[in-house]
Amino acid sequence: MKTLTLAIPSKGRLQEQVRDYFRDAGIPLKQAAGSRGYRATLEGFSAIDVMLLSASEIASALASGEVHFGVTGEDLIRETAKDTQIVPVMPLGFGFANVVVAVPQAWIDVSTMADLDDVCAAFFQRHRRRLRIATKFVNLTRGFFAGAGIVDYRIVESAGATEGAPAAGTAEAIVDITTTGATLAANGLKILDDGTILESQAHLAASLAVAWSKDARAAAEALLARLAARERAKASHILRVRISDKIDVITKRLAKDADTTVLSRSTAGDFSLLCPRKRLMDAVSSLRAQGCKNGVTVEDVQYVFEDANPIFARLENALTGAKQVRP
Amino acid sequence: MAGFPTYDSVEIEALETQAEAILGVLKARGYACVEPSVLQPAEIFLDRSGEEIRRRTFVLTDPSGRDLCLRPDLTIPVCRMHVERGGKYPARLCYNGLAFRHQPGEPDRPAQFYQAGVELLGAKDRRATDIEVASVVIEAVQAAGLSQFDMKIGDLGLFSALIDALDVPMQWRGRLKRHFWRAGYFEALLEKLSRGGASDAQRLLAHLGNLELADSRSAFEGLMDLLGEAPHGARTREEIVERLMEQAADAASIRLDPAIARLIANVLNVSGPAPKALAEIRKLVKAARVDLSEPLEAMEARMAALKPLNIDPSRVTFAARFGRNMEYYTGFVFELWSRDKEGAVQIAGGGRYDRLLENFGAPANTPAIGCAIRTERVLAARRAQKGRKS
Repeated sequence: MKTLTLAIPSKGRLQEQVRDYFRDAGIPLKQAAGSRGYRATLEGFSAIDVMLLSASEIASALASGEVHFGVTGEDLIRETAKDTQIVPVMPLGFGFANVVVAVPQAWIDVSTMADLDDVCAAFFQRHRRRLRIATKFVNLTRGFFAGAGIVDYRIVESAGATEGAPAAGTAEAIVDITTTGATLAANGLKILDDGTILESQAHLAASLAVAWSKDARAAAEALLARLAARERAKASHILRVRISDKIDVITKRLAKDADTTVLSRSTAGDFSLLCPRKRLMDAVSSLRAQGCKNGVTVEDVQYVFEDANPIFARLENALTGAKQVRP
Repeated sequence: MAGFPTYDSVEIEALETQAEAILGVLKARGYACVEPSVLQPAEIFLDRSGEEIRRRTFVLTDPSGRDLCLRPDLTIPVCRMHVERGGKYPARLCYNGLAFRHQPGEPDRPAQFYQAGVELLGAKDRRATDIEVASVVIEAVQAAGLSQFDMKIGDLGLFSALIDALDVPMQWRGRLKRHFWRAGYFEALLEKLSRGGASDAQRLLAHLGNLELADSRSAFEGLMDLLGEAPHGARTREEIVERLMEQAADAASIRLDPAIARLIANVLNVSGPAPKALAEIRKLVKAARVDLSEPLEAMEARMAALKPLNIDPSRVTFAARFGRNMEYYTGFVFELWSRDKEGAVQIAGGGRYDRLLENFGAPANTPAIGCAIRTERVLAARRAQKGRKS
């Protein structure tokens, strides 16, 4: 009997990235027998049932409480659900895309949302109809335009190929996702200077609309402990160095200069230290500056398990807070 | 279903009796009852009302694929019906019917409610008809049995006249007029404009604007031609060039004079018992040597005309910022407020909307003013007041 369901994208680049992500964390995804590709399992996590859904279905499955966890873009999460329905648990470091407001490049008089506001009002006066914005992000667009004080416009819902709408004559401007801006440029569009609605990436998100049994929480805690340990490991190195004298001074200084943590030491003075990846060169310079001439070996780490699990704590918090509003 | 009220026989009886009293006053004053259809073509509302109303409109598709909506108010359907039937002007129309509004995030507010109201279309004497509609509505609410209420009045024309009288760059006038009622946002906008700070594009425009008028037009047209066949949407090349010309003409005054920004902010902050508030505005604009006597006198005339109506003058407040949060008002606006058992509640609201009728094919600037009464709220307020007295 499965106690926790996790929805992941059923196709495309995002699915590959999710598979790679879990494989890298040491949890390979296994196709469930006879499921025709709609179901899978995570090795070592027998309580978790993996469902393969399209990315946009995942956001609505989370919102309606059909699944506990889902991996999908923050853009779709924010578009589909309220904060009381879904909590983003952790960003996954892939699937980067921005949701932006783009207008025709030929509008050389428009570079900001304030310009667009003027143009929307003038367009209505002149054409006696509202300027049309094509998008599939109806809610994000409404919220962002309201914040920018724009009311004289109209959303045209677009099912796909939104970037072609101005050229096709079905809209004047668009709100769409973009990674490099190349597709927009190829369609004669430009992003407004202050027109970035959301900088999105793939998230592991949790549903607040589903019942979280004790067993489901335990399964979530185990999974998040593993993912958090892998995240921490990816951001860390192990430094091995022999420190012969002034041991206390040097290690304290090192902790200050490069945020290192002593993992172990031998009686001979062989130290193992955990060092944030970004601070590696700070650590090396600190050692050199303190006259430590011994060689430093640096290793990658597979996992760093810690007592505290801030990612699970975030989920627990959200679940406790959400109890009162659950129907 | 939450938000969709049901009515029992007691409630129907109470609402019908009240509606008879309200419509009785309206008919006696020469308003003819009309009933537009509940289902309306969605296009009119989507295009004419903007996204804010669209967000709250129930849109549906009929089996043949046509987009329809449940009328979110009765003003647009009544106006459309009159214009499309080729009705005569001036026209005095009244109605009592259901309106439907989606209430996102507020499941307890009713998504369906009754509106009784009047529309006075095509009457040339704006000052007289402003007064007529406000009085008719006050009398109707009083005839329904509600005597205790407050009145809030404002005038979009007053703020518009203020901006036109000041030395404000052309391209910012529309922006200021559009946003004056948005507290917070407007202050930030004023601050931004008076701080100045031009973008690269504006600096380029400033250079081009120094050219002779004919030269800058051809420079802008040249710029547009460089872009070749790039899509414009429905904005024409001429439209873009015109806006560039407008921006270039203002390029010299890229910063809003802080004294002007202060005056605008001070005028907008005026709010309170109507005679005192108007006197305060007079004082402010006189010190700045700005002539607003026409809209101020018009407002004083409206207030004088309300005197015989048994409405407590201390309960009439004027707020310079009051523009009603709707997109089609153009001049005088007013609201009546009362209290039900939950607290303050708006029981009627209306104003002048001289630019709406042309959307349906009437001549441009056809004068129009109307007001809607929320009859269920009037009933709840009456019951609350009766409860307090006993």
